[in-house]
Amino acid sequence: MTEGGRGSDFDVLVIGGGIGGMESSLSLGDMGFHVLLVEKEPSVGGKMILLSKVFPTLDCASCISTPKMAGTQNHPNVRTLVYSEVERISRRPEGGFEVVVRRKPTYVDFAKCTGCSLCETACTVALPDEFNADLAARKAAHIAFPQAVPKKAVITRKGLSPCSHECPAGVKPHGYISLVRAGKYDEAFRQHLEDAPLVGVLSRACYAPCEEACTRAEVDGTVTIRGIKRFMADRYYAAHPEPEYGPPKERTGKQVAIVGSGPSGLTAAFYLGREGHSVTIFEAAPEPGGIMRWGIPAYRLPREVLARDVMNVTALGVEIRTSTAVRSLQELHGYDAVLLAVGSTGGRKLGAPGEEAPGVVDAVEFLGGVRAGRPMDLRGKKVVVIGGGNVAMDSSRSALRLGAAKVDLYCLESRLEMPAHRWEVQEAEEEGISIHPSWGVGKVETGAEGRATGLEMVRCSSVFDAQKRFNPTFDRTVSERVGAEVILLAIGLRPQTSPFAKELELNRGGSVKADPETLQTSDPRTFSAGDAVMGPANIVRSIGQGKRAAFYIDRFLRGTPLQGIQFDVRMPVADKAAVVAQASSRPPREVERAPVAERIRAFAPFERAMTEEEARYGATRCLDCGGCSECRECIAACPADAIDLHMATQMETYKVGAIALATGFDVFDAQKKPLLGFGKFPNVITGVQMDRILAPTRPYNAVLRPSDGKSPSNIGFVLCTGSRDEQVGNRACSRVCCMYSVKQATLLMGALPTADITIYYTDIRAFGKGYEEFFQQAQEMGVRFVRGKVARVEEVDHQDLEVHYEDFEGNGGVTKARHDLVVLAVGLLPHQLPDRLFQGERLERDSLNYVREMDEELDPGRTNIDGVFAVGAASAVRDIPDTVLHSGAASAQIAAYLKRRAEA
Amino acid sequence: MSEDPSQEVPAPKERRVGVFLCQCGGNISDYVDTEKARATLEKDPGVAHIEVQMFACSDAGQQCIVRAIQEKKLDGLVVASCSPKLHTMTFRGAARRGGLNPYEYTQANVREQDSWAHTHDRQGTTDKAVAITRAAIARTVRSRPLEPIRTDTAPSALVVGAGVSGLRSALALSDLGISVHLVERAEKPGGQLTRWARLFPNDKSGRAIVDSLLSELGRRDNIVLYTRAEVVEKEGHIGDFTVKVRTSNGEKVTLKVGAIVVATGFEPYTPPKGEFGYGEDGVLTLPEFEELLGDGSRPIEFHGRPVRTITYVYCVGSRNPEGHTYCSRYCCSATSYAAIRAAGRDPHVRQYHLFRDIRTYGKYESLYERALKSGSLFLRYKDDSPPTVTREGGGLLVKVADQLTGGEGVEIPTDLVVLVTGMVPRENTVLTDVLKLPVGKEGFYNEIHQKLRPVETVVDGVFLAGTAQGPKNTAESVASALAAVSKTAGILLKGYVDLDPLVAKIDTSACTWCGLCAQACPYGAIEEVAEGDKRVAKVVPVLCKGEGACVPVCPLQAIEVEGYTHDQMRSMIEALASEEE
Repeated sequence: MTEGGRGSDFDVLVIGGGIGGMESSLSLGDMGFHVLLVEKEPSVGGKMILLSKVFPTLDCASCISTPKMAGTQNHPNVRTLVYSEVERISRRPEGGFEVVVRRKPTYVDFAKCTGCSLCETACTVALPDEFNADLAARKAAHIAFPQAVPKKAVITRKGLSPCSHECPAGVKPHGYISLVRAGKYDEAFRQHLEDAPLVGVLSRACYAPCEEACTRAEVDGTVTIRGIKRFMADRYYAAHPEPEYGPPKERTGKQVAIVGSGPSGLTAAFYLGREGHSVTIFEAAPEPGGIMRWGIPAYRLPREVLARDVMNVTALGVEIRTSTAVRSLQELHGYDAVLLAVGSTGGRKLGAPGEEAPGVVDAVEFLGGVRAGRPMDLRGKKVVVIGGGNVAMDSSRSALRLGAAKVDLYCLESRLEMPAHRWEVQEAEEEGISIHPSWGVGKVETGAEGRATGLEMVRCSSVFDAQKRFNPTFDRTVSERVGAEVILLAIGLRPQTSPFAKELELNRGGSVKADPETLQTSDPRTFSAGDAVMGPANIVRSIGQGKRAAFYIDRFLRGTPLQGIQFDVRMPVADKAAVVAQASSRPPREVERAPVAERIRAFAPFERAMTEEEARYGATRCLDCGGCSECRECIAACPADAIDLHMATQMETYKVGAIALATGFDVFDAQKKPLLGFGKFPNVITGVQMDRILAPTRPYNAVLRPSDGKSPSNIGFVLCTGSRDEQVGNRACSRVCCMYSVKQATLLMGALPTADITIYYTDIRAFGKGYEEFFQQAQEMGVRFVRGKVARVEEVDHQDLEVHYEDFEGNGGVTKARHDLVVLAVGLLPHQLPDRLFQGERLERDSLNYVREMDEELDPGRTNIDGVFAVGAASAVRDIPDTVLHSGAASAQIAAYLKRRAEA
Repeated sequence: MSEDPSQEVPAPKERRVGVFLCQCGGNISDYVDTEKARATLEKDPGVAHIEVQMFACSDAGQQCIVRAIQEKKLDGLVVASCSPKLHTMTFRGAARRGGLNPYEYTQANVREQDSWAHTHDRQGTTDKAVAITRAAIARTVRSRPLEPIRTDTAPSALVVGAGVSGLRSALALSDLGISVHLVERAEKPGGQLTRWARLFPNDKSGRAIVDSLLSELGRRDNIVLYTRAEVVEKEGHIGDFTVKVRTSNGEKVTLKVGAIVVATGFEPYTPPKGEFGYGEDGVLTLPEFEELLGDGSRPIEFHGRPVRTITYVYCVGSRNPEGHTYCSRYCCSATSYAAIRAAGRDPHVRQYHLFRDIRTYGKYESLYERALKSGSLFLRYKDDSPPTVTREGGGLLVKVADQLTGGEGVEIPTDLVVLVTGMVPRENTVLTDVLKLPVGKEGFYNEIHQKLRPVETVVDGVFLAGTAQGPKNTAESVASALAAVSKTAGILLKGYVDLDPLVAKIDTSACTWCGLCAQACPYGAIEEVAEGDKRVAKVVPVLCKGEGACVPVCPLQAIEVEGYTHDQMRSMIEALASEEE
């Protein structure tokens, strides 16, 4: 029977699956109404299932909750949606409501999940366990608690971790860092390989934008992500001189030509090769690698590291034809698709007199000569480098290593504007390079044989104009002469696209015109990536482009439309401020480097690789900003293939006849009473935490105090924490704290028979059926009840605590007492419903901010909105028996409402 | 109920029973070595599957049970966990979902009867757990599939008591299309509320509330009100009761109802003469003071004299180890509220509150605050040194040792003493007997379980509403009344009810009709019938509760209770008594 009638999907929507919501759902279901129950957590059960035992009968909370939970889940008239929230409620003109439910992604297909917990075991991220009141940790992939209904895993994702969000190549540093932390080094490497094949290169030469994004940087210094990556890559390559895989068995029969074997070319080849396409790379130089082979000095990127990375690509059957320059797309007419990844090169001119003189050398050519084993002889020479970017840094530092007597670097930019990375400038200066910002070249001076002898520099007043375009202005009244035997020009790169100018549309700067999303050029079968499209970029961005190009080339080859899909859609970044607020200090450990005198003597890498211990320590500094790290261990572990990290939020719309708000209560945050020491002293805990410590599924399996795991022997309870307290804005009594403290004291007397237990109280409110007797029994068992108001708690030696209280009886005045554990009996507060949940109607609240019942005496639950009823603690603070009664009452009210509507 | 020859039950040793040993999250496994018990029971004949579970009752635990029934083709189920009172229905449900007849399930209570009882002896509790579980297995291998007894329900209910709870229940049942017979013992409906001019916390008039309910009642044609009437007889069972009501003119009316809501309310405590001066002029109980206070706005007068000082003595008749041990919960708030009104009528009135704990719980805390702000003074007395009330000269004198000032003796000459009296159970012997209602140690009617089944009683189909179950204020009484309506509607709106088939059966071939069983049966469930040429006993299944009083009196052992046959009982005793290797 659907009394909501008139096309409703359900008679009643119940919001909240705690004891009140379950009771309402069950009683309405028993009456024959169809109920939709929406619960925001991954399990029904609410707060009650988390309790140890319940007063005054000392029933185990699990034992009396689980039948309701299973009953709800299995009731033929109740449909339960967990991990879901009601987003909007609007009234339908024909009666009843339309509700929009947000189904939060669980990242686990509940239909497949069997609750086996293997993902939980495999997960590499530990987060505070909210179901254990943060006393213990739980995994990002987890089942909420042992009695969860439904017993299904969910994965906590609070957004993408900033490091992973920042990476232009889509590498997931959080993933491999968490794997290294777990000691899963090979898995860490493989995880990286999934996201980018040039692991070794990136571990040495990446500018690591991830480290700049790292939240830890705002606490006590970034996680040394690149160093950890180097550890894992070095270790993996040492153990695996060759890749663990070969070419894929399934071939598509499609031929792809890639021009250029730089970072984007190699990356694209890797992903296309994995898809079973036949890939040929054409490389003009005698060895593959492009800028990585010829541009980056060996002290930053040794040749063998690159060579091993290249094997990751060639192992897939990718052929690299070196010393084979492609000068026209015509040469590649037999291929089904072409990727132009030709990179950029130097050769830009100053436009200043004398720059053609011998002794003026292009820096890219200079660096290439060094790497080709034909270095310039700079021994004892005075070298000036022009430029403020990374090539300038690499050139000047290489010049120093080649024995130059003095290296001066001049650039247009001010120090803050220099495009080179800050740490690179710093390292260059450490090595003895003099940096002169805000200078432009006036002219190159030449000597007897026409050779360059020096430069006239003029003051550069500004580099960029108001539109942020490169447009330098000079103050020629300020000039300086500098002598130089060799002048290295590192003043910018340009795409090497000129051979294709007639075949493809180019931009003004020479870059290939390509669709920014698909990288397809004006010739449909030709795509372009890397510097050829972007202009001078860096390795990691080029890798990102290579991936993108491969994604769309693959679709092109398969005949799938390129439009209507987006490559690389990322989750929003996790909230850094929230992570910082929870972080405690864990300072970085410096990895030693060779002394400057030693490092400038050779091209050997001067940064020592991390030891295993250092790498793991470094990895433990990760703050797990986003929750799940996307390490993909759960995917590997799940026997049911239930993990789906691509799951997205779903919005579902339902029509319902009436609404029950069973949204429960919030717990007072004890940190709002700073004088009581919660959050400051480890042995001050809340009543919620004490209940977890006493629960059958307790975190420590014993009653221990947090600071040292000692069994407490003298416990003090502070009642009315956050209740009956104008100061914190809650004048109401929370009803349950007296009794739950009496209950905890009673249980503690059983668990720790020799412990002294004191309860500081104002009035003991043992008002319900059996409560007074329960209170009397606790007194008889020896629980001390002290009538006194606790003013503050201080820590003394051994992390014990001193409770200062106003003694209402006995001698009066302010007295103090020592305890080794203090429990703050925190109160309950009205749950904050989302603003504007109801469209066009305002739900009335009472003076304490609970949902107002319009006629508390005769019409329990009825709110000001017709058809909306408050259940249990939504309308007033209630204990469990009263919540159950009130829920039953609200059900009768809802049933009557629906009957009336059906008859109207 | 006749035996179906097609349902041939295999011999006990051929049975395939699944045994689940629950750890109850430590409640059992902290004291019982469940793994050892598992290993011991594993090879027992008839056990086809055995496993240990952390929480058998959890949804995951139940899913394991369902899966095992299906995969191992089980034909019997034993869960060794807590009291059957808690989870029999839970596991019968799991059995049914697995495709097993729910009556081939037995719950072995190894918690209340074992782990909780002997926390000092792990070996002993483990042995006992094995024995109790074996007994359950012994019963299960001798079980046979049974079907519940389904009977139609009457779409009407009896509500006993026409106070606020009864009136509100009646209206709510009527709202749901259930017709109601509302029986009130007094001359007029309305109950205690009619005495209260104003109610906390919303300043409503008790009289007005009752009037509004009565006028609504008048508009319903499916509610019949009987005043000066009493329930004198009840027969039948849930869904189909036959009730006799003696009406004001002495006639007995017979009513057919599907369920009964008991809303008989409370009695205000009346102190014996001399308790805190009760009986002296100027010493009133709270309800008496409430009547004096009424709805007036001028300063209070008592016997024509102005009242300048009022002293309240709290917890009179409550929280008393020798008398009513419980707290009546409404009185602190009601008294604070009365004091606010008294101060409103005369801002100069002096009011002293002699209390033990102020229990203005939840939002009623604001009443206490307002009483303090309106000038009331609160003095705390200790349980063992209560105040005294005497008449000194012409006036009343209250003496108390105030704890806030270190036990200093305070003397308060006063015009009025208000004894803050609580709620006590009503005298209802006849009804209690007729309905066989369970009475708790405080004298109020007992629910089955405060949290799981707070309005249900052990008598199926009989529900509790309002203060008959224990002290409550108006809103709380109405909430419980409507909760009882929900439960009633859950049964009656369905149109039928399934009763347990665990009832007595007669072996008519052996029976010679001596009538002893019919005499022993407290439910009148056995009748004499003709079978062929002889007279035999016959059980009326819907009336039989399976209690078994008939079984031992039969000289020919011709009666058994389904699910507890002679064979099952004997084998259980043997299993319990046998010595472990």
